[in-house]
Amino acid sequence: MAAVQGGLIDTEEEKDIKTEPSSDGCGNNNANDGRLHNASPGTTSSGGSNKPAAGAAEDQQTLLAVLQFLKKNKLTESVEILRREAGLSEETDDPKGLESSGAGSGGVGGNADAGSGDANSLLSRVSVSSSAVSASAAPAPPKAVVAEDQPDVNVVLSAYSQQGDPALYDVYYSGLKRFIETVLDCHRAELSQVFYPLFVHMYLELVYNNHENVAKAFFEKFSGDQECYYEDDLRILSGLSKKEHMRGNETLLDFRTSKFVLRISRDSYQLLKRHLQERQNNQIWNIIQEHLYIDIFDGMPRSKSQIDAMSGSLAGEAKREANKAKVFYGLLKEPEIEVPLDDEDEEAENEEGKPKKKKPKKDSMGSKSKKQDPNAPSQTRIPLPELKDSDKLDKIMYMKEATKKIRLGPETLPSICFYSFLNAYQGLTAVDFTDDSSLIAGGFADSTVRVWSVTPKKLRKVKSAADLSLIDKESDDVLERIMDEKTASESKILYGHSGPVYGISFSPDRNYLLSSSEDGTVRLWSLQTYSCLVGYKGHNYPVWDTQFSPHGYYFISGGHDRVARLWATDHYQPLRMFAGHLADITCTRFHPNSNYVATGSSDRTIRLWDVLTGNCVRIFTGHKGPIHALAFSPNGKFLASGATDGRVLLWDIGHGLMIGELKGHTDTIYSLKFSRDGEILASGSMDNTVRLWDALKAFDDLETDDFTAATGHIHLPENSQELLLGTYLSKSTPVVHLHFTRRNLLLAAGAYNP
Amino acid sequence: MSAPKTVPKDAQVMIQILKDMGITEYEPRVINQMLEFTYRYVTTIIEDAKIYATHAKKSTVDADDIKLAIQCRMDQSFTSPPPRDFLLEVARQKNQTPLPLIKPYTGPRLPPDRYCLTAPNYRLKSVQKKVSSSAGRISVPRLSVGAVSSRPSTPTLGTPSVQSVGSKVGAPVSLTGQRFTVQIPPPQTATSKTAVPSTPAVPNVLINPSLIGSKNILITANMVSQNSAAESLKRKHEDEDDYDAL
Repeated sequence: MAAVQGGLIDTEEEKDIKTEPSSDGCGNNNANDGRLHNASPGTTSSGGSNKPAAGAAEDQQTLLAVLQFLKKNKLTESVEILRREAGLSEETDDPKGLESSGAGSGGVGGNADAGSGDANSLLSRVSVSSSAVSASAAPAPPKAVVAEDQPDVNVVLSAYSQQGDPALYDVYYSGLKRFIETVLDCHRAELSQVFYPLFVHMYLELVYNNHENVAKAFFEKFSGDQECYYEDDLRILSGLSKKEHMRGNETLLDFRTSKFVLRISRDSYQLLKRHLQERQNNQIWNIIQEHLYIDIFDGMPRSKSQIDAMSGSLAGEAKREANKAKVFYGLLKEPEIEVPLDDEDEEAENEEGKPKKKKPKKDSMGSKSKKQDPNAPSQTRIPLPELKDSDKLDKIMYMKEATKKIRLGPETLPSICFYSFLNAYQGLTAVDFTDDSSLIAGGFADSTVRVWSVTPKKLRKVKSAADLSLIDKESDDVLERIMDEKTASESKILYGHSGPVYGISFSPDRNYLLSSSEDGTVRLWSLQTYSCLVGYKGHNYPVWDTQFSPHGYYFISGGHDRVARLWATDHYQPLRMFAGHLADITCTRFHPNSNYVATGSSDRTIRLWDVLTGNCVRIFTGHKGPIHALAFSPNGKFLASGATDGRVLLWDIGHGLMIGELKGHTDTIYSLKFSRDGEILASGSMDNTVRLWDALKAFDDLETDDFTAATGHIHLPENSQELLLGTYLSKSTPVVHLHFTRRNLLLAAGAYNP
Repeated sequence: MSAPKTVPKDAQVMIQILKDMGITEYEPRVINQMLEFTYRYVTTIIEDAKIYATHAKKSTVDADDIKLAIQCRMDQSFTSPPPRDFLLEVARQKNQTPLPLIKPYTGPRLPPDRYCLTAPNYRLKSVQKKVSSSAGRISVPRLSVGAVSSRPSTPTLGTPSVQSVGSKVGAPVSLTGQRFTVQIPPPQTATSKTAVPSTPAVPNVLINPSLIGSKNILITANMVSQNSAAESLKRKHEDEDDYDAL
């Protein structure tokens, strides 16, 4: 419905007859459309109609502002002319008098709704008040004009709409509190979710509009009522009392502009709506509509514990639609490689599939199912490097080791070998092991990267070019001859970064090492020459984590600029940018099939991104602190995450639900690893312990029936104690990294911190 | 010494601030670091404000000057990451391009040379005079700016002092043909602390940018090895003739 300038006035009269329910058919989102065109049911559909309507409203407001300006300067004749030409009637030029709390009839409710309509958060931040005023002036008797701090022209130009008298925010909030306390028990838990986002948004609005004292009083009165897990956020807010403080804080600005998502059952929502649409509660209703997105579901209201499990993130929970996309969580088919029965390496170099005399064992991983797993991505979904001969050799070694793998379980726990970094002086910031556990790399706060050899074999550099030309290239041990014996040493130090190194990752073929640092670059080092090859620049802010893809060639990095980037080693610019988080990305992990990337962030959510399209396919909320550890299960179906709140959460990727919670750690969890077959989950934390959890059992009791999948209700069994298989204390050494060797021995690494 | 030292007032204020912000555990050095930062920041702002005030022909510094100073500094030093909608837009554009196909069998998959740090950072001059590179003196005669496609009369980098290769050259170095003989001190382990960016904007060396133009200058502070003979290049399969031609 296109908005017609003159027509605005006419539709007003009809609007107040129209009752509320028409405008909000499906979810809060459509309140936007309640604008001045309530009369038409078509406005209940969101989106399109909003834009032209918003445009008209803005023009209207600008007109009013101009009118007012002329009036102020006593240019009465111009005022008359303008009015006549714009078709505005006499009464509509009163820009003051935003809805006051006690205003008028039910029609005002409609007006308020209409007024708040154009707050389509990201796009139009124009003040709502003026349009609402122009709407309401016609039917209602002159309303009590509330003296605002920013009358007339400034109102139009301010970027944040003023929804009512700041002094009365206190009253609104207490009113809502009292209402929710009187509600039925089953609804109370759900409705209490509204408190926190409402509180924060009201406070931010007061601060943004320079009502410092009111804001402070408001904060002091109500901050104590909020949930305990929001404590950190509240502390940050308490330090924020002026508008200038908000300027540099991107996270807060994003919070203000994005809608906080709440999931409430339909019954509770009806209750709330009915209450808030009473005349005296319009203000809160406006604010709620502007800042909150209420995702309604049909069904039983959730209990407090269910809500607590899922909430905690900076932007509320995830909408159901966000987790509906299909995710190909299956594994890629392994290529078929012949494994010779004896240990001769030469035989391994035959082409795959060629029948041999000794009836070699077939690669058990690939050939089981000829059919494509429906949940697995196709081999060519994303381009992956093909296997070189050296890779095939590696795979054969892998399979040989796999035969000697110990099967773990609650009865057979893995042995743990702890590598302590001594004399690191709290400078150890990142650790990684190669897949075959032959090398350890450590990233340090003094911007060095050090590589050690775990096996007795020393580290050697490749010979110089001149010397290389002298060796016999045809000899069998050419790979040893190219190494320069003079450079053999237990460890090598790599210099190059200009800031602490926060992320480290070996490539699967052990040729490269990646390191990401506070200086904003990600460096690729060669492990044959032990020198830096490339510096990838893109993040201009600290890069907190990086990881090579399990197939090599691609790698991801995530940092302070809230964006994760996918790179390929041969492109100096990123291939994909994954933007969407509200705060820094602290942890980035590839899915075993390299088609998806999981990122954990300081905004306490985990997002799963599709490498092919760059879209966010899953949002997992529930942690109460920044996430520092992520681990995919080897079968690709599940994700485990650990955060500063000391809990490990388990997620089903296919359904997008939380399926388990492992409580036990008392401090930040910095590392998580599944054993080679996914039977055991090991977690290492700052509380100096490594804990082993029974993963098979945790994933076993899944009952994701349709109801659960549809509504996202989760019933988390309180079985952390049963799942905990063992707790192993170290001597004041926080555990920074965990790694299962190919034979299921657990290696742990940390810096001794006396 | 005398009786137990009392904590100075400034430090007490800082301790109180930390407490108010909810920080309870911190090393004692943190207070000193915070105080130092505060002092440096405040003096910088006030100095800037004084400049703005004199520019506006005011006799005293007032609040507006301070506000302006804070704002300018904020845009300069305390930048924040781009806003979310901008990032979303950029990401959307970037994600539209399909993933590039991977060429098979290309050896190490690295970006084009100009984006890598693999070029050599020195070039030896042929020994014409008698070899006086006796023991103890590392003879890397010339430190050339290692542009990959460098031409013979490439500007060379000279530093007057032996000690720090990265010292700031006071006057713009005229680069069109001067060659300095550089004596590099024996390689120390701490040589490559300086950053190794591969962009023309190297912080520690002042080069006349107009002469460089768009050539990609790679300056690495990685020092040479002991051997004065032909030295290693990082990439084995790279064509070495590029670098030797003079």
